[in-house]
Amino acid sequence: MSTVEEKSQEVTEEQPDDATPVDPPEPPPATEAEPKGGILPAFLIGIVASLIVGWVVFPQLLYSKKRQPVDFNHAIHVREVGNDCAGCHYFREDGTFSGIPKLDKCVECHAEPIGISREEADFIEKYVATGTEVPWYVYAKQPPCVFFSHAAHIKMGHMECATCHGDIGESEHARVYQENRITGYSRDIWGHNISGYTRHTWESMKMADCARCHQKENVHQSSVQTKKGACFVCHK
Amino acid sequence: MKVGRRRFLAFGIGGAVGTALTPLPWKLMDDISIWTQNWPWTPVPPKGVVSHVNSVCTLCPGRCGITVRKVGDRVVKIEGTKGHPVNDGGICLLGLSGPQFLYGPSRVRSPLKRVGKRGEGRWEAISWEQAVSEVAKRMGELRAKAEPHTVGCLLPEDRGSVAQLFARLLTVYGSPNVMRRPSIEDTYEMALYQTHGIIGRPGFDLQKTTFLLSFGSGYLQGWGSPVHMFRAHSHLLSNSCRVVQVEPRLSISAAKADRWMAVKPGTEAALALGLCHVIVKESLYDKAFVDKHCQGFDAWTDEQGQKQPGFKELVLGNFTPATTAEITGLKQADIIELARNFAKASRPLAICGRGNGSVPGTLGEFMAVYALNALVGSVGRSGGVLALPEAEYLQWPAPEMDEVAAKGMQQQRLDGAGGDKYPLARYRTSYLAALLKGGGYPLKMLLVAGENPVYDLPGSTELKKALADIPFLVSFSSFMDETAAMADLVLPNHIYLERLEDVPPVFGLPKPLLQLCRPVTAPQFDTRHTGDVIIQIARALGGGVAAAFPWPDYESCLKQVLGGHFARLHKDGYLEGRVPELRFETASGRFEFINTEYKAKPAYTPVIPQGDKGVFPLVLTGYDSMRLAGGAVADSPFMVKSVDDTVLKKGDVLVEVNPHTAGQQGLAEGDAVVLATPAGRARVRVHLSHRVPPGMVAMPRGLGHTAYDPFIGGKGVNFNELIAPVPDPVSGLDAAWGIRASLTKV
Amino acid sequence: MKEEHRQDGPKKYGMVIDLDKCTGCGSCMVACMSENNAPFREDESDKLLSVAWLRLYKLTNGKPYPDTDVCYLPRPCMHCEGHNGHSPCVSVCPATATDYDSATGIVSQIYTRCFGCRYCMAACPYHARVFNWWDPVWPDGMEKYLNPDVSVRMRGIVEKCSFCYHRLQRAKDKAYAEGRREIREDEYQTACTQACPAGAITFGDLNNPKHAVYKLRKSPRAFRLLERLGTNPKVYYLSSREWVRRAGDNYLADEATGAGKHMAEHKG
Repeated sequence: MSTVEEKSQEVTEEQPDDATPVDPPEPPPATEAEPKGGILPAFLIGIVASLIVGWVVFPQLLYSKKRQPVDFNHAIHVREVGNDCAGCHYFREDGTFSGIPKLDKCVECHAEPIGISREEADFIEKYVATGTEVPWYVYAKQPPCVFFSHAAHIKMGHMECATCHGDIGESEHARVYQENRITGYSRDIWGHNISGYTRHTWESMKMADCARCHQKENVHQSSVQTKKGACFVCHK
Repeated sequence: MKVGRRRFLAFGIGGAVGTALTPLPWKLMDDISIWTQNWPWTPVPPKGVVSHVNSVCTLCPGRCGITVRKVGDRVVKIEGTKGHPVNDGGICLLGLSGPQFLYGPSRVRSPLKRVGKRGEGRWEAISWEQAVSEVAKRMGELRAKAEPHTVGCLLPEDRGSVAQLFARLLTVYGSPNVMRRPSIEDTYEMALYQTHGIIGRPGFDLQKTTFLLSFGSGYLQGWGSPVHMFRAHSHLLSNSCRVVQVEPRLSISAAKADRWMAVKPGTEAALALGLCHVIVKESLYDKAFVDKHCQGFDAWTDEQGQKQPGFKELVLGNFTPATTAEITGLKQADIIELARNFAKASRPLAICGRGNGSVPGTLGEFMAVYALNALVGSVGRSGGVLALPEAEYLQWPAPEMDEVAAKGMQQQRLDGAGGDKYPLARYRTSYLAALLKGGGYPLKMLLVAGENPVYDLPGSTELKKALADIPFLVSFSSFMDETAAMADLVLPNHIYLERLEDVPPVFGLPKPLLQLCRPVTAPQFDTRHTGDVIIQIARALGGGVAAAFPWPDYESCLKQVLGGHFARLHKDGYLEGRVPELRFETASGRFEFINTEYKAKPAYTPVIPQGDKGVFPLVLTGYDSMRLAGGAVADSPFMVKSVDDTVLKKGDVLVEVNPHTAGQQGLAEGDAVVLATPAGRARVRVHLSHRVPPGMVAMPRGLGHTAYDPFIGGKGVNFNELIAPVPDPVSGLDAAWGIRASLTKV
Repeated sequence: MKEEHRQDGPKKYGMVIDLDKCTGCGSCMVACMSENNAPFREDESDKLLSVAWLRLYKLTNGKPYPDTDVCYLPRPCMHCEGHNGHSPCVSVCPATATDYDSATGIVSQIYTRCFGCRYCMAACPYHARVFNWWDPVWPDGMEKYLNPDVSVRMRGIVEKCSFCYHRLQRAKDKAYAEGRREIREDEYQTACTQACPAGAITFGDLNNPKHAVYKLRKSPRAFRLLERLGTNPKVYYLSSREWVRRAGDNYLADEATGAGKHMAEHKG
């Protein structure tokens, strides 16, 4: 429900029929005195206002913006470390995926500064020197009920990282992390467009997105009840 | 423009229409539903690298190999180690509870000093330096007064480096009072010595046995090495071998056996001798073995030239099927049939020691079972009972005693074990309550490590009072157990998952097995390895005591005393010894049915339950269950959760009463009653059960903790509060299988 | 692409529990609780409220001493197949929070989808489902041992045994990383199967002739619980005792059990 809508209702309710002034700055005139012509503009104003609120204001309010603790440059790392994404985001022997590297992976190269950037010096001083893990915000973090297998998608499905993660590997700066104030999850899950409309596969990571692709590729469409993907494929 | 009612309405409707054209309502609904599915107070376990670390579980004497699953540095799960000689991948519920013990609320998180009244639960957290110096100061004072022998020490076992560090400390300090709680292992040790002349323990070759005859041994309730026994039982089943259980109550071991022989309580030895009678009389015994390896089967003349009756005479004269049937309450035909089947089996084996083995029993009974095994040739052969000589695997530098220590060590032990009256016994700790009150001298300081006597020894009500009179009680417990709760000082040990320590050979296995417990995680709290603390206490005492402890810490001590074993143990986790060859070191060099030196012999020694039959018309007996840890380690919250509601309901324990007996007493299912024995009384509830014979009340061991936390404590009644020890006249060890009791409805 | 995603024949994971070997020790219960992040409370003696996926039932032949006999029976979720995957519980769920997977034969339970109506609990003839009346609470520090592979459940939802499905997910991950599609029998075993000190539980694919369960379930000792309800459960029990097999269902006094019939055929 819209906040504007609520407000307007409140006002209408509180407005007594006997035209007692309640709104000091502009006491409303008697109903009969109201010109009939103002209805359509008011209706249109209502529509426009709520459209602005719903499409522009609401997303601003819904998401808090957070800077990553370190302004990470993916492009330079892909270039210098090599081996594409797998240089840092690799599979472990048991088939699990390492995800965001831990500090010890960074230290493999950054025990001492190897560049001249201020950002790197800060990173070494703040995290490497103290042995503190970097509290990265994870753009693709899924709720705890989700089991996502990178092995199934990358090793078996031969999918590209970019299919879900986009061109993050080419970024030179860490994007601002937008966190949904209600759910606590990243804006990337729903997608940047508040309508949920996406043009590319990497723009959102909701259950429907997984299901769509699974249906298209006929992956485990074995649920007797839904005739679609079984629950215990992606859930735990 | 003026804002009127209609315009407002129009504005509102416009707003509603507009809102419906935005994603706002749908997005908000989605977000709120996600929020309700992920409450912030529901923990989300963090992911991480999964690793597996092997070690040994030392929560019970079974010593299973464990594989600990870790996620990051968190211990998440404990599993049995595949291919391990004890448990080969299996694990019991106590072993599975490790993570609950590691992170549980009952852990003692730092050294504690009592500030309130004894047992009041008011503590002051102190530093380790202060804790060590307070113990050393007390010990120093007693030594200065030439009373070092008034310091005692209570341990779960006497094998292993930590136990031997304690013994070493007390030796050079000047006290003979190192105590351990005796069990069936002690009686087996004695029986082995009497029959084989070997100091050591028996091994049971269950993998090759074809007929297992158990005289009340709870081989599926914690007897021996529990998981090993479970696997052995399954192996027997898979190979269509027979299992017969002799026991008055239908325990789970009895229920799983092919045949349950419901004998009158306490008469198992009579049946063993009755079976011998049939086997001898019908000449079913292994003549080759008896002729070649045994002594005392026929009458013989001793060194003094006196004629001694042989075992043959003993059983033929006294244990006819008719007599045995009368004693045991079994049918003659069943006894004869069992004897024939047992003797005719290709590799039969008889075992004894009741329940989980916590009550030592009579030496006569154990020797009777040994005799039965010998008759069928099942001594020292595959599928039979083997003799594993005690092999000292730790090499200690000889300690030097000063004058005070030498004098102190000459004092009689407080428990009288090894003295004139009970020369065979090594420990008589079951009588601790009586000893503390009426022993030769008062105990002024007691160190308790790895034991929980206030809970675990029979007659615990009396013992609690007696312990309260000891001026200085030190507990080394990792948990706030009943004894720690009464202590003056608690010096918390690391738990086994945080510890490096040797694990001495396991009782009952066919081969000697030495293991090493390795830390799987860093210590969670400000605890310290008891081995380190002993060394630090010794150093603080100074002089000759300190000189006997030249190691900087426990780890270097362990490396030295384990010598060459350390590296291999550290790599593989365990070292398996060889199965020893058949040999006897008795005076005759043979298996002695009747010991030529001590004249100890197979016997049925009736153990009369304490109490007046008029006042206490019933008999109370304890039973063991894997779901209740009856010993020094308490249940975990998960284990308590697994207990049936016919055993524990709310805070009440249910005791099994035969419906016939209940009918006579006017009792119905669930009735609250007072269960009284000569040792104590408690409120319990009645559970009608045909598993117990009329006249018997059966109560589980392992409930009734008063300390720990609300998940473990305050549930039911401790069986030890209601029982009292009854000595076997020969060994002096506790042989009580029950106590007289009464039930009164409340 | 589509060709590659096709599964290599549907699996039907199931369990065979040998009641002759089972000692009722409770290790399976605790293994399950430890693996699956079960909560615990101070008083767990009201078994209707106690959250346990696997329970042990005590059966007795009802005869007086000394002819009495007892037998324990571990009861996980039976993962009923019903007729073509229409298990009793799944059929009634209004939220599609539980479904039957024809590729594995596992009945799922999705906690975030469940809204706690408990219709499934009423539908399950085995009492295999439990409702969370309370939020789970771990004493300070104890939440450290929680397993990240299994979701921690919140108050107000129904939960049940999943045949340790997460272990299959893990095993698949490993197989995929090694370039295999098939997983070996020993790679996917439930926590209770792995722990059982008596080795009484066998787990595997009932469709696969190479798996141990395939043969075991055809044993003349085999029976299933309340088989005649048509639930078509995937947990089989073995017992050599006729009274135990009879206790598995409601038999008339003069009626032979399924296993008894098998035995008659076997001998004939």
